[in-house]
Amino acid sequence: MFDFDATLPLMAVQFLLLTALLNLVFYKPLTKALDERDAYIRNNQATAKESLARAESLVKDYEAQIAAARKESQSILEKAQAAAREIVAQKIAEAQKEVQAQKEQAADEIQQQKATALSTLEQQVDSLSRQILEKILGPELVR
Amino acid sequence: MEILGSLTILNTFTLAELEVGEHFLWKIGNYTVHGQVFLVSWIVIGALLIASLAATRNIQTVPSGIQNFMEYVLEFIRDLTKNQLGEKEYRPWVPFIGTLFLFIFVSNWGGILVPWRLIELPSGELAAPTNDINTTVALALLTSLAYFYAGLRKKGLGYFKRYIEPTPILMPITVLEDFTKPLSLSFRLFGNILADELVVAVLVLLVPLFVPLPLMALGLFTSAIQALVFATLAGAYIHEALEGHGE
Amino acid sequence: MDINSASVIAAALAIGLAAIGPGIGQGNASGQAVAGIARQPEAEGKIRGTLLLTLAFMESLTIYGLVVALVLLFANPFT
Repeated sequence: MFDFDATLPLMAVQFLLLTALLNLVFYKPLTKALDERDAYIRNNQATAKESLARAESLVKDYEAQIAAARKESQSILEKAQAAAREIVAQKIAEAQKEVQAQKEQAADEIQQQKATALSTLEQQVDSLSRQILEKILGPELVR
Repeated sequence: MEILGSLTILNTFTLAELEVGEHFLWKIGNYTVHGQVFLVSWIVIGALLIASLAATRNIQTVPSGIQNFMEYVLEFIRDLTKNQLGEKEYRPWVPFIGTLFLFIFVSNWGGILVPWRLIELPSGELAAPTNDINTTVALALLTSLAYFYAGLRKKGLGYFKRYIEPTPILMPITVLEDFTKPLSLSFRLFGNILADELVVAVLVLLVPLFVPLPLMALGLFTSAIQALVFATLAGAYIHEALEGHGE
Repeated sequence: MDINSASVIAAALAIGLAAIGPGIGQGNASGQAVAGIARQPEAEGKIRGTLLLTLAFMESLTIYGLVVALVLLFANPFT
């Protein structure tokens, strides 16, 4: 079982040969392939990162534009609302004025009618009192 | 061997046989070589080479099929090495540590998953190459050489200062460490793989059907962990040599 | 006692005694790992990886005992 003989050196030489052969047909080409793929992937990654950055800057631009547009629309809306409010206030004021005027007119009319009514009433009171006096004192005395 | 002989006499199934320490010996000049280890290791090496060739024959930017799988394997190995050696130093050591991991892992799993026993050899039997002490010692010695090489390359002869660096009194311990590192590396791998095969073999001897299956699954798990441990430790030793003691 | 039976007993002792320490150690480590997972469930993956690695290291101590046992059984240098 522990008999050393020429197997040992021959095996060592054979193993070294195998190492050299495998280095030629296995390690070198595949290592090269792996490294090339690594470089390729790194390249692609770099370009991808670049385009990602570009896309991000584009997105930022668009977002800024959107924000500006939103602000503009906001201001337009506010302006329109203010105008509308103004118009409403004006209309209300006008209506109130008109109402006031009508009210005053009506009050004037009432006052006038009251005055005429009072004057007719006075005349009637005068004629009535004259008639009463005529009745009581006689017509000749009254004159 | 006598103990085992009495065990195998009891055994009526010829499918289940315990054979430990028998080898399919080849003679090259004056030297003997364990043929079964080399046969299986060639299959393992062939499988690795075919898989990597199939993966890299037509490399595409968007991987699919086997290229995807092998890239996953490579990334796993690179992570392992990076964890041990750090971001700065790991790249030149990926092939060595990765090949250690792949070779041990494929050997271990091949030894369990492929029914080698169905192929008859004149003596010995086909199994995972890592259940032979020669293989594991070879790998461990290569790891030792690798970390010596790493230290010498980084610091020149100043690398040897680490033996006397805190105090020269500790020198025997640091020298001893250089011997125990490959010893423990090789014995850990060898013992785990051989123990697993022995346990499965003994269970097959007792109950030939189904009962050994959970243990074989456990063997898959432990052998994967052992491959990982071997590669991790190799990385840790190399890192230690690169960093030095004092820093 | 002849050398064969002594070897068999020694092998049994080697693996049996070598299993004690790692058993205690593995129990400790697993318990601490479970406590760690209970305290921080999000770190489970990392804890499990480290735990498996350390368990393999402790396991290898038993394996050394096993190797010695195997040496005594199958490659005994004294017979």
